[in-house]
Amino acid sequence: MSCPKTKLISAYLDKELGLGEKTAFEAHVQGCTRCSHTLEEMRSLRAAFANGERHPAPYGFATRVMARTAELEKKKAPWLAPFFVRFVEAAVLLVVITVGILAGKVMTNNSTATTTTNIASSLSLDLFDATPPGTLGGAYLAMTEVSHEK
Amino acid sequence: MQNSDDFSLIARFKDGDRSSFEEIVLRHQDKIYNLCRHMLGNAHDAEDAAQDVFLKAFQALPKFQPDASLYTWLYRIATNTCIDFKRKPIFESLFGDSGEGERLIHDQASDAPSPEKLYQAKEIDKALQVCLGKLSPKLRAIIVLKEVEGLSYEEIAETLDISMGTVKSRVARAREELQKCMKKN
Repeated sequence: MSCPKTKLISAYLDKELGLGEKTAFEAHVQGCTRCSHTLEEMRSLRAAFANGERHPAPYGFATRVMARTAELEKKKAPWLAPFFVRFVEAAVLLVVITVGILAGKVMTNNSTATTTTNIASSLSLDLFDATPPGTLGGAYLAMTEVSHEK
Repeated sequence: MQNSDDFSLIARFKDGDRSSFEEIVLRHQDKIYNLCRHMLGNAHDAEDAAQDVFLKAFQALPKFQPDASLYTWLYRIATNTCIDFKRKPIFESLFGDSGEGERLIHDQASDAPSPEKLYQAKEIDKALQVCLGKLSPKLRAIIVLKEVEGLSYEEIAETLDISMGTVKSRVARAREELQKCMKKN
């Protein structure tokens, strides 16, 4: 069977009842088994909390927090950092391309003729003999050349 | 609980001395971690949440008004962080609970309890943790602040930004639900 006064138990335990209310409640509890039983259970609950384990912060907790705050500081103005990095990358790329173009121009201006001759000679077949030395082909060619000369 | 040390640490922080924040963390870490541990029920989530609390505090501290007390402000951040905390996948929670070695049993060193009593207390505490986990986050927050952290109704009202009447009724409701649950266990 429930009792409407059980609602006061929590406030009574926390010493939140006024003097008159407190005295009246204490008198009520003497004669109400329901309230006295619930009051005991609530007291046990409080004791369970009081005797319960406390969990201190694990070792190195503050260091880990500070490491994360340092990361946070680094990330301040997050849009600016990538922009700066991209800007530097683009500038370096531009410098490399410009240097490459300029160097190419200088080299081609100084040795255009030599380069043309080199290319032409590299494409020539004069390096090769018409026939391998000491073969019948060579003798035949020599004979035909003699007959042409005649 | 707010004292001049907190004020001077905050003032130093606002003047650009970031090292003062480490002192703030060291001063309040045990309470915040303990609150998170009771709110979330395991060491792994509690550490993540407690770290988040201090990161949020670090970012918001420049705007902190010294008319509020630092610890109630931190408790408020902690409570909200734990209520909104997204649990890690279940296997991480199960295998990530490495806080066993750090636990301390709150007893009188001069009057060491017998192994039976210790065992009994541990069983009650286990049941209590299970029952706490069954409460709604709001009721859990209020009962942890009241019974574990020992805050007064007024401090809880300030921390959670609710009226004293709401605090009283929620504390009573949380106790009632816990009591019913403890009976079952």
